[in-house]
Amino acid sequence: MRLGQAIPERPGTTLRRLIREAAPLIVPGCYNAMSARVLEAAGFPAIYMSGYGASLSLLGLPDAGLQTLTETAMNARYIAGAVKVPVIADADTGFGNAINVVRTVEEYIRSGLAGMHLEDQVAPKRCGHVAGREVVDRTEAIGKMRAAHATRQALDPEFVLIARTDSRGAHGGSLDEAIWRANALLDAGADLAFVEGPKDMAEIERVCREVTGPVFYNMTGISPRMDREQMKKLGIAVAILPGVSMRASIIAMYDLAVAIRDKGPMAEAEFNRKLKDHPLGNTHEFAGFDRIRELEESFLPPETAQKYEGTLGHMPKKAAE
Amino acid sequence: MTSNATRLRAQFASGDMVIAPGAYDGITARLVEQAGFPAIYMTGAGTAATIGFPDYGLVTMSEMAENAERITRAVKVPVIADADTGYGNELNVVRTVREYERRGVAALHLEDQGFPKRCGHLDDKEIVPREDWLAKIRAAASARTNPDFTIIARTDARAKMGFDEAVTRANLALAAGADMAFVEAPQTMEEVANVPKLVRGPCLLNVVYGGKTPEIDLRDAQKMGYRLAIVPGLLFKTVMASCDDALAALKKEHRHPVPGRPMTVQQAFARVGANDWDPMRTAFREPTAKAAE
Repeated sequence: MRLGQAIPERPGTTLRRLIREAAPLIVPGCYNAMSARVLEAAGFPAIYMSGYGASLSLLGLPDAGLQTLTETAMNARYIAGAVKVPVIADADTGFGNAINVVRTVEEYIRSGLAGMHLEDQVAPKRCGHVAGREVVDRTEAIGKMRAAHATRQALDPEFVLIARTDSRGAHGGSLDEAIWRANALLDAGADLAFVEGPKDMAEIERVCREVTGPVFYNMTGISPRMDREQMKKLGIAVAILPGVSMRASIIAMYDLAVAIRDKGPMAEAEFNRKLKDHPLGNTHEFAGFDRIRELEESFLPPETAQKYEGTLGHMPKKAAE
Repeated sequence: MTSNATRLRAQFASGDMVIAPGAYDGITARLVEQAGFPAIYMTGAGTAATIGFPDYGLVTMSEMAENAERITRAVKVPVIADADTGYGNELNVVRTVREYERRGVAALHLEDQGFPKRCGHLDDKEIVPREDWLAKIRAAASARTNPDFTIIARTDARAKMGFDEAVTRANLALAAGADMAFVEAPQTMEEVANVPKLVRGPCLLNVVYGGKTPEIDLRDAQKMGYRLAIVPGLLFKTVMASCDDALAALKKEHRHPVPGRPMTVQQAFARVGANDWDPMRTAFREPTAKAAE
């Protein structure tokens, strides 16, 4: 939780250092401020905001380009404001042409993000692991990255730009085309290249060998899974696991709901008993009421602390404790 | 209660052509209503300008829908809103119609430009194939929950593909479920007169000063058979000019200039609803509390 607590440097600066040091940097995906805080509590030094998850959690809609820049940037702003670690966000196609990209980069930087990825799908886009995708031509894709780069240079040169190409799995696409585009987009100013949807290890090996800059890998959907050592051997710089918190919460929520439906309301109490020793088992503590009490002690008149005496419920810790 | 969508339909069915001047915020919407116009048009160009952008497709659907809500909340008359291209493909159109309808809009128009769009009176517009646009019209007609919500099909085809293509597209859109046709930027008075003759359904005329379409007396437009005239830029441009004048006067005179015509603070607040809110400032207080004041 932030709530008045500063971060020491620009989020892009932190992210750049993490990428240099980690190799590979493993970045799990969140979909809202709460899931971002769970990932931060688990100790990840950087977090990814999934566009798929944002669309599903915010609107209840699939990742088919239905969410607007306004909605996505708002969600990103809540996330970046809730955690101290840098956040990389999905920026889809930049929500239109190169001119819309300028606005998107500006909104994302202003939202407190460390970086974003921009893809070459036709706007409105669809999930990179769902069939029926189309990409814009090379010139337009490069023009959009140049627009993003110029905007980043003007507003926050540390902001990280990741060039995503969907041309591997798109209509009429190929791995050759994807590698060509990845390199052209790096030349246009991108810091990392993200070839979406390689379908086997041989393809990933080619990407890592032939792409001329740091490789960003999306370990999801139709792409193969591998451990940290394999990534290191291949030379992958950053790997995201975008669906982590979304899938975990969908399944956990469903299972608990079904247990309550089938076994009755006491199933909730049974679930809570199991959480007693869980690191995040105390929800009030996780939510951050201690920080509220700390702020009260610092800034409210001392007599307001009396309101805690003799009251029932979760008791936030005093600052001194 | 009759919905504004239903009321707007009744206006279209009555004898007079509906004139809807353009508004872009709560103030301009109230001024249009107070001047006695039966409907308001929410201009996309004006909405973009209030956010600080030119009309180059930079404004998101969220921002357009929010502004539409601001306007529908400020007035009682029906609001006809610019929905550009529907902000994407036909799926985005479905979302746009639902968002606009939920925010109290009575009608919207959807155009056949490529996404993101440009102002209809600028050059180098891109036009999508007929079928892409007709799919959007069908999607819009099926997405509305109130059957009286009016779908206006706007074609920008005149500039690049010619008048005949524009008329053909207007008729195809009406057949696909649009309630009204909007042929953007006819270039001669003959074309303006021919639109209602050749289009087999109600027609909208876009009255733009200094655009591609010749100036016209709105009584003549009614005689030609138009059912709706929108005047999007009237207040947007007038406001800019009078602001420029007031600011220049402040610079020159070194004192607060007379604002157009003399107006007290109370008079200004009365124009934006103070009379409705004033009684509520005391109505809910306990009688004793009132006495103690």
